[in-house]
Amino acid sequence: MAVTSPPIKTKPKFDFTPYLFLIGPLTLYLVWIIAPMFYSFYLSTTDWDGISPDAKYIGLSNFETLFGSMGKRRTSPFEYALVNNLKWLLTFITIPVAMGLGLAIVLNQNVKGDRFFKMGIFLPQVLSLPVIGLIWAWVYNPRDGFINPLLTSLGLADPPSWLSDKELVIWAVIFAAAWRQIGYIMILYVAGLKNVDIRLLEAAKLDGANAWQSFRHITFPLLAPVTTIVVVISVIDSLRSFDLVWVMTKGGPANASTVLAVLMYIQAFNNYKMGLGAATAVVLFMISLVFIVGYLWRIMKDEMEY
Amino acid sequence: MSNFSKKFAVLVVIATLALIAAQCGGPTPTPVTIVETVEVEVEKIVEKEVTVVETVEVEVEKIVEKEVTVVETVEVEVEKEVEVEVIKEVEVEVVKEVRPIIYNSYNSDPGPRAFDEKMVALFNEQNPDNPLDHSVVQHEDFKQAIRAYLVADPAPDVMTWFAGNRGRFFIDRGLIMDISDVWEEEGWNEDYPKGFRAMSEVDGKAYFVPSNWYWWAVFYRKSIFEEHGIAPPETWDDMLAACDTLDGAGLIPITIGTKFRWTAAAWFDYINMRLNGPEFHLNLMLGNESYDDPRVKATFMKWQELFDHKCFIDDAAAYSWQEAIDPLAQGDAAMYLMGQFIMDSVPEDVADDMDFFRFPIIDPDMPIGEDAPTDGYFMSVNAQNPDGGKDFLRFIGGVEAQSMMVEDLGRLPVHTGVDQELFTPMQQKGIELIQGADLVVQFFDRDTTPEMADVGMNGLMDFWADPYDEDLLDEIILDLEATRAEIFDSAE
Repeated sequence: MAVTSPPIKTKPKFDFTPYLFLIGPLTLYLVWIIAPMFYSFYLSTTDWDGISPDAKYIGLSNFETLFGSMGKRRTSPFEYALVNNLKWLLTFITIPVAMGLGLAIVLNQNVKGDRFFKMGIFLPQVLSLPVIGLIWAWVYNPRDGFINPLLTSLGLADPPSWLSDKELVIWAVIFAAAWRQIGYIMILYVAGLKNVDIRLLEAAKLDGANAWQSFRHITFPLLAPVTTIVVVISVIDSLRSFDLVWVMTKGGPANASTVLAVLMYIQAFNNYKMGLGAATAVVLFMISLVFIVGYLWRIMKDEMEY
Repeated sequence: MSNFSKKFAVLVVIATLALIAAQCGGPTPTPVTIVETVEVEVEKIVEKEVTVVETVEVEVEKIVEKEVTVVETVEVEVEKEVEVEVIKEVEVEVVKEVRPIIYNSYNSDPGPRAFDEKMVALFNEQNPDNPLDHSVVQHEDFKQAIRAYLVADPAPDVMTWFAGNRGRFFIDRGLIMDISDVWEEEGWNEDYPKGFRAMSEVDGKAYFVPSNWYWWAVFYRKSIFEEHGIAPPETWDDMLAACDTLDGAGLIPITIGTKFRWTAAAWFDYINMRLNGPEFHLNLMLGNESYDDPRVKATFMKWQELFDHKCFIDDAAAYSWQEAIDPLAQGDAAMYLMGQFIMDSVPEDVADDMDFFRFPIIDPDMPIGEDAPTDGYFMSVNAQNPDGGKDFLRFIGGVEAQSMMVEDLGRLPVHTGVDQELFTPMQQKGIELIQGADLVVQFFDRDTTPEMADVGMNGLMDFWADPYDEDLLDEIILDLEATRAEIFDSAE
């Protein structure tokens, strides 16, 4: 199949060879990603139960069901899921990122035992999310867990019930997720810091810049590409959150810790409402789209200016 | 714009799409290669316009998924001494055995799992030519995965499932194989009590093999009750008094883990049945009664009294149902409303100290209803090995397997041929409990549709989180009624 052509320097002819090679991956991409995506869009406008051969077209009423359930006194599962996803997202692009960056800078100063600390902090990333869920479900267990018996032994009479309090539960889950995330972000920043030219920092020092100034005006701007990656990864990780919630709380109590992916799964595979599940997935997709496109647009614009 | 971020942009978009697409897909059918002898009826047209129908033995090697059309040319010597070249078109409907029998089971807890594996090993020993391929899926996950199993092609042959409405959902959609012949041949129509036949059939055809059932009751630690001078509560007031005594002694009266929600549904079932009668409860589950009926609210208000008397463990939602056994096993909690299967998870040294009593009577004028869920097996209509699957059903529903189940698991058998001598005192007591009931229902999430159960259990959890918020309760009831109307009223 390979076409051997001598390298002749002429007017560039249309060369279809690369496309020949692309057919394979593109077909897979089309079959496994693009087509299911549009199929999901289609499903979100039906009342399909996942089993019956025919699905009835019902327009946008799945979306009406979802958004119409919001704003009531009794918070609907969808409202919980949407708000929790946003809480998760906002937390993820701030706290773990800041902490990961801080740790990276501290451990980049040739501290004694920095390798040990780096490894220790990165280690949770090696564990799969369900395992982390199991660990933290135990840590939060009010009776046999880690935190509450410790608090009680320290004399605190009524420690909070992390996973059964409707207000606390989502933060407890996000904390577990962030615990895992920090090490990852730290490693990304550690790698980024290795590329920061030490001479620039020395020059700044000679010019009398203090540590904050050289960080603010030299290190951080130079880390911009890493920050881009970190933020996008955080956005993706927070939107696809499912495992931790599923293992730790199943979305409970009373949906207080549910997220869109969990809700979608329950609607589609427990309640046999594929249409509603697909509509939830579409909402999740749209949120992802807003963040990703917005962010890409920004960095592309930034880079045009250079 | 740098090359890097271009590449990166593509990467990000792919990742996002992958996120959405990840929900799709199911098990891929694996083609099976079979060599077999098929008896084929061949109709061929010979030159002389003579139509000969004859039976030819053909050795066929083919890759089969379901239905295969084989076109082949064969030279045949025909009796009439006419040498002809015949082109035959042979349609072969393959309903032959494909090995092995695929058996998917939800028996993931240690006790049932060991028993399940024992049964499979025994069956395989007895049927070396037709072995089972057994896989166990975690119980909660199985409930979701079953949908995919049933619509897959090829589907697993035999699956564990629940009697009642949860089975009915799939039967109504034509996904379950009619196994009336097995019932007929094995004489189960006579050997199984009528009630079990009734829950296994739709329109006179049997689709389900009930294999075991168990009772629900309030399980308790005998030693704790003795120590505090408590007799097993018979009435609601006894129950509240027991809570007060135990709570006063610094113990947890009732433990419960509501992480998976259904444990709380048992409380709704029982309070509703004891207060409003099992008839009303069943009709509510079947969608024939409204949730905004004042009797439903009365059930919740009755439930509230248990919170008044500090009956329940704190932070119930933090525990799975098994985790909530710990305080019971450690002697910190006294009672747990649970099915008999609680005994699978109670540590051995505590098991002797366990007993149970019937859920207390609230209104003595009401008939008594009990939850007694029935588990069993059914086959997919797409089963690849229907004969093998039916053989396994015959085995598992027969006296031998049922007797072993009684001994190993302590569940109650369906087959009346099982020797009564095998029953332990606890099983005897369980049978008496159910025999004393006026109406036996399955369970909250087995008596109604999956969606209704989901919304219902969410409502129960909302109530549990804040049992004193009456406005919230009103909204919960409104939501339940809206869901009920949507599911059941539109269906008719």
